[in-house]
Amino acid sequence: MTETKSEILQGTLDLMVLKTLDAMGPLHGYGVARRIEQVSENLLRLNQGTIYASLVRLQQKGWISASWGTSENNRKAKFYAITKAGRKQLAAETENWERFSGVIGRMLALADRR
Amino acid sequence: MTRLRVLASRIRALFSLRRIDREFEQELESHEQLLTEENLRRGMSPGEARRVARLRLGNPSSLRESNHDRRGLPFVESSLRDVAYAVRMLRKSPGFALIAILTLAIGIGANTAIFGIVDSGLLRPLPVRNPGRVVVIAYQRHGGKLLSYFSYPNFRDIRNESSSAFSGMAAYESSFDGLGKGSRSQRVLTNYVTGNFFTLLGIRPSVGRLIQPSEGRATVASPVVVLSYTRWQTQFGGDRAIIGRKVLIDDQPVTVIGVTPKGFHGVMPFVETDAYLPLSMALVGKWDSRSSLAKRTSAGPFLILGRLRSGVSLAQSQAVLGVIARRLSSDHPRSDSGLSLSAYPQTLARPAPMLHNPIPAVAALFLALAAMVLLLACINIVNLLLVRAAARSHEMAVRSALGGTRARLIRQLLTESLLLAVLGGAGGILLGIWTCAEIGSVNFSPGLPLLLDFHFDWRVFLYAFAVAMVAGVLVGIVPALRASRVEPAAVLHEGGRGLTPGRQRLRSALVVAQVAGSLMLLVIAGLFTRSLQRVQQVHLGFDPSHVLNLSMDPHEIGYTDAQSREFYQELLRRARNLPGVRSAGIAFTTPFRLYTASQDSVDIDGYTPPPGKPEPYVYFNSVSPGFFRTMRIPLDRGRTFTDADGPKSAPVAIINEAMARRFWPHEDPIGRKFHLAGGPAQWEIVGVVGNSRMMKLTGPPQPYFFLPVAQLFTSYETLQLRTAGPAAAMIPQARGLIHSMAPDLPLFDVGTMNEMLSGSAFLVFRFGAVLAAALGLLGLLLALIGVYGVTSYAANRRTHEIGIRLALGAQPAQILRMIFSQGALIVALGLAIGLLGALAAARLVGSMLIISAADPLVYAAVSTVLALVALAACYVPARRAMRVDPTVGLRHE
Repeated sequence: MTETKSEILQGTLDLMVLKTLDAMGPLHGYGVARRIEQVSENLLRLNQGTIYASLVRLQQKGWISASWGTSENNRKAKFYAITKAGRKQLAAETENWERFSGVIGRMLALADRR
Repeated sequence: MTRLRVLASRIRALFSLRRIDREFEQELESHEQLLTEENLRRGMSPGEARRVARLRLGNPSSLRESNHDRRGLPFVESSLRDVAYAVRMLRKSPGFALIAILTLAIGIGANTAIFGIVDSGLLRPLPVRNPGRVVVIAYQRHGGKLLSYFSYPNFRDIRNESSSAFSGMAAYESSFDGLGKGSRSQRVLTNYVTGNFFTLLGIRPSVGRLIQPSEGRATVASPVVVLSYTRWQTQFGGDRAIIGRKVLIDDQPVTVIGVTPKGFHGVMPFVETDAYLPLSMALVGKWDSRSSLAKRTSAGPFLILGRLRSGVSLAQSQAVLGVIARRLSSDHPRSDSGLSLSAYPQTLARPAPMLHNPIPAVAALFLALAAMVLLLACINIVNLLLVRAAARSHEMAVRSALGGTRARLIRQLLTESLLLAVLGGAGGILLGIWTCAEIGSVNFSPGLPLLLDFHFDWRVFLYAFAVAMVAGVLVGIVPALRASRVEPAAVLHEGGRGLTPGRQRLRSALVVAQVAGSLMLLVIAGLFTRSLQRVQQVHLGFDPSHVLNLSMDPHEIGYTDAQSREFYQELLRRARNLPGVRSAGIAFTTPFRLYTASQDSVDIDGYTPPPGKPEPYVYFNSVSPGFFRTMRIPLDRGRTFTDADGPKSAPVAIINEAMARRFWPHEDPIGRKFHLAGGPAQWEIVGVVGNSRMMKLTGPPQPYFFLPVAQLFTSYETLQLRTAGPAAAMIPQARGLIHSMAPDLPLFDVGTMNEMLSGSAFLVFRFGAVLAAALGLLGLLLALIGVYGVTSYAANRRTHEIGIRLALGAQPAQILRMIFSQGALIVALGLAIGLLGALAAARLVGSMLIISAADPLVYAAVSTVLALVALAACYVPARRAMRVDPTVGLRHE
């Protein structure tokens, strides 16, 4: 479990954030982090601050947009939403990822059979 | 694409970083709040909930910092901070800043000015469409001199047969004509152009229209003219109503159809073309003594421009031209045997296509001299910065102790020197513009519309900027490296007196280099100045003092050739009777006059050129009786021209000694005959005169001959008067005389022979000498400052030591000797190295000089002057050191 916690690749985190926003609609930073932890069934325990590095990167690339809104506890919070360009990127990366993980899966299966 | 968007977003963020930081703060706060609430829901105590929330979120200050850096551009931000700091530092020591900026401005200004001149003369392409494809066509016969004046039939053949390589070829003939609207006309430089001239160049009129392809050779029912923008502005006040109106050209009404674009000065290098007329106009009214367009001769009046087809290289075009040359040479052996053709890019054909163009070498030399001046200026600033670095070692130590890395310190110091360079560069550009404007306003060559358009274009600004940046790094890098090599503990303990002897050694070495460099500059300046002196003492073979020249061309006011002949005869008669005039003559050209020299290949009875060599080209002049007396060219044998040598009598010629010796080395040339290429007349030699320098100041005397003006007449002539008193004083009477005969006749090139020689023959040397001397003096001044600075600094630092010495009984004179000898050693070393360097540098410029590159007088004089001045610069601080009060010296800390 310790391994999976710290070894998240930068690109992987970006992909997860993008997918989360695609699936959930606009969320604030806490919401994104929380959601990723939930989906991973707490296998992924983020240092939640690192989520912001990913959010800035995605924003600078124009894949997500940010606007101020009010959170569930009635506080001012910044909400992030996926953009059209972001959806396109997500589709492309999803395909990439599936192809890649398929290859890895086959490789590992091959090693097993020996 | 994405990367670009990220960069754009980061640049945008630079302007609102503070807001971004604040927002992030809020975002983190609300995140922490949400986490805390989650923890509370899980049943933690409020304190525990907050602690765990902080842990989950991570270190807030490091998050803030990395967010800040990720949002903006940290390098730019810290650079901006460095610049702000540098500005503050400079404002704290305004004296230093002012001196450094001024010194750099002078150095960069010298470079900018010289580059501006080089740029406008050699680098700037014609302001036409795709100027890189425009070439000038030139030819040689039997591998002889490279020439560029063609006859019309040759132009036509070359154009017609070269269309595979050239999308077009245009020809033009240059001439001087009278241009006016009412009575008084002005003399202007005109081009008679083929109809495709402007379409080939691809320029658009600023007003009206340009000459059309259909107008080139068509015989003109209604003649037209295109004015240059400058001429339109100066003579017609930029009046748009002039379009469609008639002006007088050589007293003939001609319709103005348009004006060339602003900034287009014509295609002839270094001169401003005033007006353009269709080629066919050249045949009407004027030049009736000239050969017609139909005649194929070895040399004609036409210059050819070509435009390479896209995708055709210069080498490919040469191949096409080679085929044409071989065809012409076998079809027309009489005029074109041994012909070869070549194309030169227009920028390389300035002033004319040349086999070995010396101008780029001269340009490179002056750029190098200017660079040397800048180097000397930089050394001064390095020295100043080293002093400052010593004074700032405390600051550096503190910064380094606080965690400033060495690279960061160097960056900070380099930012300061680059800021100095940028400010100095801005000053330098202003100085350069001013200098160029000053040079441009000097009237170097009266009578010729010399184009000195030194306006600065992007190339000059780019050059100035690059020079400033190099200077900034150059002056900054050594002091920065030294200053950043601090050992905080040592410096901080010592209380800020970080003195290292090595620093003084480096400074002394720099001043040695400065003395050496300035000696090199001064030697080169001296060599040029001496060359100018020598040139002015060259035995010319004629006596230029007390000679007044006035040029005119009666065809400009509509005279026919017959009227002009009559006019000149009467003018000569009356001029000889003017009080104060000793003798008078008329000549087509005067010595060293640009653009009106005549030369032709001559065919001599009993002389066959060596096999494979072309027939010799000889320069000549047509002159009236009285010419030789006026110029004081001595007659050796035979007779001079008389009034009996008229248009109907037998053609006669007078040759100079060099021509006699070359073609009739063992016999008497009197009575022998020769003819000019293609001409039917057999010129019989009736006299031999002494050699005189008409075209070249150096080298062996050139063959030259004279024909009677009555037998080879053009309406363009110069009246020459030998006066009893100062020649310039006769100008009003001479003008009055001519205008009493022809009130509207424009006069030009009015001046004494000596004035004209200094404007033409000596022009290059004068220009070179003045420029080199200016750079040499700048160098001297900078070296002086360097020597003075380093000696007085050394003396200052030794005040304590001097105090002890004096207290222990040293004599003031000993102190003087000690400090002075230290400075003298620097000067002596600099002189020794400089002499060696100067000898090497002078060898490179030897070919541009009249005197030997190792002229001992120049070296001796220049080193003496430099030594005296530099030693004086050492003496002043040494004397001050001598007067140190021992008590003050001992307390000095």
